[in-house]
Amino acid sequence: MPAYRNVIWWYVQRITGALLVVLLTMHFWVEHFMSKTLMRGDLSYDVILSRISNPWWQGIDIAFLLVALLHGLNGLRNIILDYSRVGPRMTQAITVVLVVLGVMWSWWGIHAFSRL
Amino acid sequence: MRPTTTTNVVRKYSWQFSGMVAHIIQRVTGVLLLIYLFLHVHTIGELSQGQAAFDQALLMFKNPLFRLLEIGLLGLVILHALNGIRLTLIDLGLGHKRQQQLFWALSIGVAGLIFLIAAIPLFIASVLRS
Repeated sequence: MPAYRNVIWWYVQRITGALLVVLLTMHFWVEHFMSKTLMRGDLSYDVILSRISNPWWQGIDIAFLLVALLHGLNGLRNIILDYSRVGPRMTQAITVVLVVLGVMWSWWGIHAFSRL
Repeated sequence: MRPTTTTNVVRKYSWQFSGMVAHIIQRVTGVLLLIYLFLHVHTIGELSQGQAAFDQALLMFKNPLFRLLEIGLLGLVILHALNGIRLTLIDLGLGHKRQQQLFWALSIGVAGLIFLIAAIPLFIASVLRS
């Protein structure tokens, strides 16, 4: 595997991290600190329904999930590979498992909106 | 007693293990946040089971103990974010000569300040009134 491939993932980790700072700040500001109901922790089905009826929020939430998963699972991959001594085949196997996990996890989150 | 000069203050805060501690903090908080993301998607996933199932899944979050844990989660997010910003600055070549001071200033100082500002109203609104 050429060395630059790993460099790309190092960049991806920094870029998704920066995106998450923006998305998380927005998430906390809008969904926790600007809403009295949510500040009290009184989340309900109706609250989500009214928010998700706006397609922009739906898009932002799905993008947020995908970016967070990419950052989180790539970080987990870095940790696993750092603390283990495995060859290229095993590295590839770990990557495949994490990608499959990421796809399932994404589908799980996106599917949640399907009946709303 | 040594006079309090800038050099002495800098020396006092240049703990030799801060870089290593920052590295470990980033990994531990990262894994914990990924575990939380799993729990979060699990709860949101109940939306597809209808209103009754979703509101049932939310009951766990209305518990005062869980609300305290949520404030802990906020702390984890802020710590991971500020420590990550520190890491990115160092990677960009900005301030890597002062990486130890950067740890105290950003990962501990700014993160602690943002946490206090955010956690106090959250604690009053959510834990005390529940």
